[in-house]
Amino acid sequence: MATISANATISSDISSYPITISGAMTMTKSANPSVGLEETTGLRTKKFTATTAAVIVEHDELTDDKAHKVYIRNSSGSRANFFYVAYHASAAAAGTAETIGKLYGGDWMLFPYNGNTNITVASSTSTETQILEYMVFADGIEAAKG
Amino acid sequence: MATTASISITSADLMPGSSLNITASSTLTKAGVTADLDQKESGVMKLVTGTEYRLGPLATEMAGDAHDIASYLYVHNRTTEDATYYVDWGIHETMIGRLYAGDWMFIPWSASDDGAEIEIEPQGGTNIIEYCLFNSDVILPTAAS
Repeated sequence: MATISANATISSDISSYPITISGAMTMTKSANPSVGLEETTGLRTKKFTATTAAVIVEHDELTDDKAHKVYIRNSSGSRANFFYVAYHASAAAAGTAETIGKLYGGDWMLFPYNGNTNITVASSTSTETQILEYMVFADGIEAAKG
Repeated sequence: MATTASISITSADLMPGSSLNITASSTLTKAGVTADLDQKESGVMKLVTGTEYRLGPLATEMAGDAHDIASYLYVHNRTTEDATYYVDWGIHETMIGRLYAGDWMFIPWSASDDGAEIEIEPQGGTNIIEYCLFNSDVILPTAAS
């Protein structure tokens, strides 16, 4: 059993009374909250030079209906460019119903994922290279069959 | 009016040969520009099981093209830890993951239309969530005269 700690700190002075949100969690298995996740697809870094949608997490490599976590970061510097991030078999675009949002340069996201459908992305630009970093903390990996 | 979101993911034993230490920080801005976000809404809610709830506004409750508005959502399931308690979350009726008791999530969100709202559905019993949505250009309903 591994111990994976994820901490978020969000500070904002939008209101007159500044807030700081602190979230701390230890990633655990769905069947037992005292047992930590112990599998991962590893941390991947991928360059994108086209706007074609691409699958970054293939759901059939993961056990369905589990407590996986997905971390994604757009490590590019431009706030003008972004990645669409979607929960979809193949598409990621503005009109795709399962598009979650736009991950702008510098932004990150961490979300629970059930492993039932692919996670797809599409870069907003083909004139500038964008770089994505991503990692799945898995609650069950289905080993590839020969 | 800056809003900054930082994350740290660490593990010494997930990959014993290479200690994991991810850190990242982002200043949340309006879509495509460097101007800071200037609106937020937050709260704590008890969610009774058996019902699907909408979290945040509909696309038509945001000014202009809703998909061009940058929103960021933080949700923390504060339910006392129990393996049978979690909140299903998704876009419209497509559930994407399970936010178990004690877990948090942080995502960018942009709705192309009113059929792309954030939906949550508690499972196992009454779940308590804390949430904060950072965005801009939300339109309040017009008051009845």
